[in-house]
Amino acid sequence: MAEKPLPSLQTAATSPVPAAPSYVSAALRRALPVVGAVVALLILWEASKLAFGISDQRLPHLGAIVEAMLTRTQGGSGNILLVQTLLNAWATFRVALGGFLAGGLMGFALAAIFMGLPILERGLMPYVIGSQMVPILAIAPMVVVGFGRMGAPPWVAKVMVAAYLTFFPVTIGMLRGLRAPSPMSLDLMRSYAASPAQVFWRLRMPTSLPYLFTSLKVAASASVIGAIVAELPAGAREGIGVMILTSAQFYNSRPPALYIAILGAALVGVVFYGMVALAERLVVRDRAAEG
Amino acid sequence: MSDAIIEFDRVSKIYQSGGGPVTALHDVSLSIADGEFIALIGPSGCGKSTLMRLVGDLEQPSAGGLRVRGKTPHQARLDRDYGIVFQSPVLYEWRSIRKNVELPLEIMGQPGPKRHARADELLRLVGLGDFGDAYPHQLSGGMQQRASIARALSFEPAILLMDEPFGALDEITRERMQLELLGIWDGGDQRTTVIFVTHSIPEAVFLADRVVVMSPRPGRVERVVPIDLPRPRSFETREDPRFFALVTEVREGLREH
Repeated sequence: MAEKPLPSLQTAATSPVPAAPSYVSAALRRALPVVGAVVALLILWEASKLAFGISDQRLPHLGAIVEAMLTRTQGGSGNILLVQTLLNAWATFRVALGGFLAGGLMGFALAAIFMGLPILERGLMPYVIGSQMVPILAIAPMVVVGFGRMGAPPWVAKVMVAAYLTFFPVTIGMLRGLRAPSPMSLDLMRSYAASPAQVFWRLRMPTSLPYLFTSLKVAASASVIGAIVAELPAGAREGIGVMILTSAQFYNSRPPALYIAILGAALVGVVFYGMVALAERLVVRDRAAEG
Repeated sequence: MSDAIIEFDRVSKIYQSGGGPVTALHDVSLSIADGEFIALIGPSGCGKSTLMRLVGDLEQPSAGGLRVRGKTPHQARLDRDYGIVFQSPVLYEWRSIRKNVELPLEIMGQPGPKRHARADELLRLVGLGDFGDAYPHQLSGGMQQRASIARALSFEPAILLMDEPFGALDEITRERMQLELLGIWDGGDQRTTVIFVTHSIPEAVFLADRVVVMSPRPGRVERVVPIDLPRPRSFETREDPRFFALVTEVREGLREH
């Protein structure tokens, strides 16, 4: 029984925990391309303004955008715009998170139902797909107004719109994952006379996790879009959607504001995506590298 | 045979395929005694894996009768009468090696500490005592297959079904694993009945009490070769002239049809 373990295991067992500096340098190595890309983009921005003579109205100077960030809102009495943007981003983030959780749960439930009852999948899938073909911009006002009439607090409608965009990728990815176990791993469960619930939780569900996380990443950005769109119909008071709407109205006189709103939207999306990616690393870390 | 644990009575298996029905097994009758080590050998398409899968109720016969411990294969499966080992280890990659070995016990509702202890005991038996906390991808192919054997033995099934378990291993690891398997099989108080599917003639002769030689299209039993080599078998068994004679006999059985 003197078979040698693979090198990866040996190093894990014998070498000490890597010292902090190597973590720091690894983090630097990872951050460098990101920082480099941003710097390159900024240079390209100003260079193309210079080269093609793009007016400040169409592409404001970076300095003007930074200056606008630091300007107080509401005629000088409110927060600086940067803080205001972060507050709006936080509001949008909460709606997106609510929609992500609600939609994720819906998507998971639909996938589990379709898995257990293929006849329902055949019957309902066309409508599920059809639901995603309807422009969200057309549905959002109906949902917002509809829930408003029912007396629900405003956030319910916004979360529903975000959930509407979220559940579909989760259903598709999850269903694919639930069907991914190999015939032999299913035979193994059969040989133990495992119940369908045991097969679901001990085999199908864990097998589907990598698929689930791929679709959750798609869903993360979709729920941010959903949240922003849900903030557009008249009546909303906070959120990146509101910022985009107002700064678009005043674009002619104050172009930087719209760019700041867009940055705010991007920030929400990136943070959200990062959270899902982090969760993925924590959950599937023990598995062999896939793909 | 009165003490037969598995009884095939004129069993046939026909698959419906696109190009018409295909007979995988034709009129197979075979009686396997309790505690016997049976090797099934034959070229691809002779239905040896199908024969094993019928015992496991992973497939159903098209005709004939099959009894496992006096019951239908379905009932035997529900009673967890057999453990199975496939050609690939089929370990669940999200579970540690110990949790993989515990899986059948977990499904059968054994309490945590008890199955934990049992898993460690089996891992020691197959020489993986130090690897309970490792994950499958950290182990070599041979070690993974040992874990899958430990998993199959964890709930002490009366029958062990092995479908080319060493087929993917290199020759050196393979011969060592054969010895280890016999060591485990001989070691217990009660010998488990083993059905071992293989396409290696020396492997079949080295391991088995009887080698069932099968031929393809349609799959049927060509002949049954009793292996009268003494047990416990060892490294020297493979150098015994009797071993070579039996290998030749099986090889000739495979040639005629």
